[in-house]
Amino acid sequence: MSIVLQLLFTGLGIGSIYALVALGFVLIYRATNVVNFAQGDFSMIGAFLMVVFAIDMGLPYWLSAVIAVVVMAGFGILFNYGVYYPLRHRTFLPVVISTIGASILLQNGVLAAYGPHPQSLPAMLPFPGINIAGVFLDSQYLLILVVTLALVALQYLFFERTMLGKKLQATSQDKEMAALLGIPVALMIGITFAYSAVLGGLAGILVAPLLFVSINMGSTIALKAFAASIIGGFGDVTGAIVGGLALGVVETFGAAYISVPYKDGFAFLVLFLFLMVRPQGVFGEKVAEKA
Amino acid sequence: MAKNGLSALLLCSALILAVSHSLAADSLKIGIVAPLTGPAAETGRFQINGAKLAADEVNRAGGVLGKQIELVVEDDQTTNPGAVLAFSKLSGDSEIPAFIGSIRSTQVHAMAPDVVKVGKPMMIGGTDPKLTHMGNPWLFRFRPNDTYSARVIAEYGVNTLKRKQWAIVHSTDAFGTAGKNALSDQLKALGAEIVITQGYTNNSQDFTPVVLAVKKAGADVLSSYVTFETDQGILAKQMRQLGVDLPWIGSTTISTTSALRLAGSALNGTYGVTDFAEKSSPAAEAFAQKYKATYNATADVFSAWTFDAMTVLAKAINDAKSTEPEKIRSAILAISGLEGAEGTYDFDENGDGLHGYNIVRNDNGTIVFERRIDFKE
Repeated sequence: MSIVLQLLFTGLGIGSIYALVALGFVLIYRATNVVNFAQGDFSMIGAFLMVVFAIDMGLPYWLSAVIAVVVMAGFGILFNYGVYYPLRHRTFLPVVISTIGASILLQNGVLAAYGPHPQSLPAMLPFPGINIAGVFLDSQYLLILVVTLALVALQYLFFERTMLGKKLQATSQDKEMAALLGIPVALMIGITFAYSAVLGGLAGILVAPLLFVSINMGSTIALKAFAASIIGGFGDVTGAIVGGLALGVVETFGAAYISVPYKDGFAFLVLFLFLMVRPQGVFGEKVAEKA
Repeated sequence: MAKNGLSALLLCSALILAVSHSLAADSLKIGIVAPLTGPAAETGRFQINGAKLAADEVNRAGGVLGKQIELVVEDDQTTNPGAVLAFSKLSGDSEIPAFIGSIRSTQVHAMAPDVVKVGKPMMIGGTDPKLTHMGNPWLFRFRPNDTYSARVIAEYGVNTLKRKQWAIVHSTDAFGTAGKNALSDQLKALGAEIVITQGYTNNSQDFTPVVLAVKKAGADVLSSYVTFETDQGILAKQMRQLGVDLPWIGSTTISTTSALRLAGSALNGTYGVTDFAEKSSPAAEAFAQKYKATYNATADVFSAWTFDAMTVLAKAINDAKSTEPEKIRSAILAISGLEGAEGTYDFDENGDGLHGYNIVRNDNGTIVFERRIDFKE
């Protein structure tokens, strides 16, 4: 029993990270109809910012995290104006290529600045974890779970209860209509990019003490997060969260009870099954082209 | 006046020609393929440093066949196509009689067909056993190949640590799988039992299933073939967190500076195999001191193998008294008992120069030399 609980705990922890990155994917997709292939690199940048502030400059840990999150928001806006905005009137393909280019640029930029050696960050909480009846609850995983849950709740309140949140929703639903109603669409998209960068960066900051900080740390996470957002229903916020958590649990149990080398395989097997049987995902709505 | 000018010009050109001719006559070019750009760029610099240190030493002692060694470096960009391109540039220069190739097996595999076509010796550092066992007569290895790491891990664990119930954790890539297979064979030969074998894919973010399986299996020793330092770090932390405190003997990655920094105290007390250890021999220590004095940096495997490769190559050309490929080859194969930074070189007919590894121990974050284990063949 303790083994099952241990696996469930790590599965949910890893799944929360997928969920955070998947949320970033989904929000940008809803606002711009484009998949941002640099979403994983937002995590990498966030983690490297922590290395810069907490290790290189020696700032307190919590302060470094706050500064890193603020810088990520600015970075998201810059990303919007550099990568998306100039191509906003084109079809989705040039924008996708542009985000792939940005991803390559970001990874190699950090490589040039920091070298190829992975960096490490200390755990955020001062104790390594709690041991309950043979189940070890790693403090960092606990923190990840708590932060993810809190973010999901805050996000719900923000989108449903605030004017800004409603304007953002309107923009993602129908840009032309939103513009007619006097909503500054370009600004709303800029805010969406900033928020997605914050989510991605936060995932990177949270996961850094566990997985270390390396230039390709984002790619592995982003691939799973992308699968998670499709399983949940691409474009659906709840779907991204449920998909992420489910993926983390499925791959951890699959690895434990069937085969470790095929761990990544389980994640993508689930993806295949969904694409064949229910391509719109768990929460997605079926969209049919009108004749 | 015009006539004077013309003759002066002629004289000048004659002088320039003579000077450049004598320069060419005084230097012997050796080609090096090394990563100057890409993820391994930093190690590329170490490799060139090592080769340069050896070349300077040889040059001070009179050079090779009375000529000074001149290193010609081409960038492999840390990729296989880059390595092939770099080698083709170098091999196009007919004045280069021999090459120092890559430390990465995959790049040596990529260049190997061209090395056969060119028909000149290449010194290599890649440790895939196949490289010197696929009928290519021009590859000479300056690091022990991977079968020896498995033999040394098994020998040390079974006969020194007296452990008979083994758990093996390995990466499923070419390196990790080959290592796991070799280790299984060696353990069976020594009469030990393998109670569990767990493979994982590179860049795993979580090792909980692996650790729980090892914990359940009832092993009394753990061994690992891990490719990436990040994986090594996460694996070590989770092993300790979930209560696996077995003695642990790992492949080279377990005792690298990077892994120590990432894993911290989780790797304390572990054993590792490594081909370069500063305290393993007087020759290794002397190299490490010279390297420190010249570059103000700590010597490592990257600089050690190219240092040895350059030293051995220079000696072989001097012994052969010729730059003909066949004669250099025979001279390298004839080398025996040469003390290098990486160990004692006794080339076998396949072109493998070294036949053993060092065992090191992680003593609260400091790597200390335990023992050198060499095999006859």
